[in-house]
Amino acid sequence: MQQAVRIQREDFSQDDEIKALKAGSKRMGGIGTFLGCARDFSEGREVSEISFDAYGSMALSEMKQLRSDAIEKFGLLDARIVHRIGTVRGGDNIVFIAAGAEHRVAALEACRWMIDELKQRVPIWKKEITPQGDTWVMPHP
Amino acid sequence: MRGEEVIKVLFFGPVAERIGNGVLQIAHRPGMRLQDLRDGLAAQYPQAFEIVCFTAMNGESVRDMSIPLPDSSEVAFMARFSGG
Repeated sequence: MQQAVRIQREDFSQDDEIKALKAGSKRMGGIGTFLGCARDFSEGREVSEISFDAYGSMALSEMKQLRSDAIEKFGLLDARIVHRIGTVRGGDNIVFIAAGAEHRVAALEACRWMIDELKQRVPIWKKEITPQGDTWVMPHP
Repeated sequence: MRGEEVIKVLFFGPVAERIGNGVLQIAHRPGMRLQDLRDGLAAQYPQAFEIVCFTAMNGESVRDMSIPLPDSSEVAFMARFSGG
């Protein structure tokens, strides 16, 4: 079974991740998931590819901490986070988060919290590659 | 820089692009603080440091820039994250 927290170039399978999550406990009554995908249009421009850069060791460490924090904060039974790096095209998967809990509220809230926190805490950067040129995405404060 | 004490400075994404490099080796000076390193590099690469929002030392986020910088530290100056 693959690690619960990973950064990888290759695509992932949501089914495999959910199967791995469910394998940990039969007390799991709710699983909340988030799938982030690459858009082919942004800020009024066509986007042909998105390229990711990451501070790999710190990003992985932050994602592991994020998972632990979520498990503790929401009383989850388990959680998984997978983020791709390298280059993806419109429609491709970027990030998958799954939170498993006894009941739905904790699972859904934890999933929302994890993706919001990931965007704030995990050192990964995306660059949109367009016919007009390349632009690093710079989120506003 | 062989034989000297050095700080390894890492840059990623938009900051690396503005620096023109992902890693720099900077000579360590006794008593050096994180702020000294930042000030020196910001003077040399002002366009890159315009977008630096976060600093990490040895893989851990750092807010207090007055902390001493040990020899052989790994420091990263980073722009706002945009993963996910």
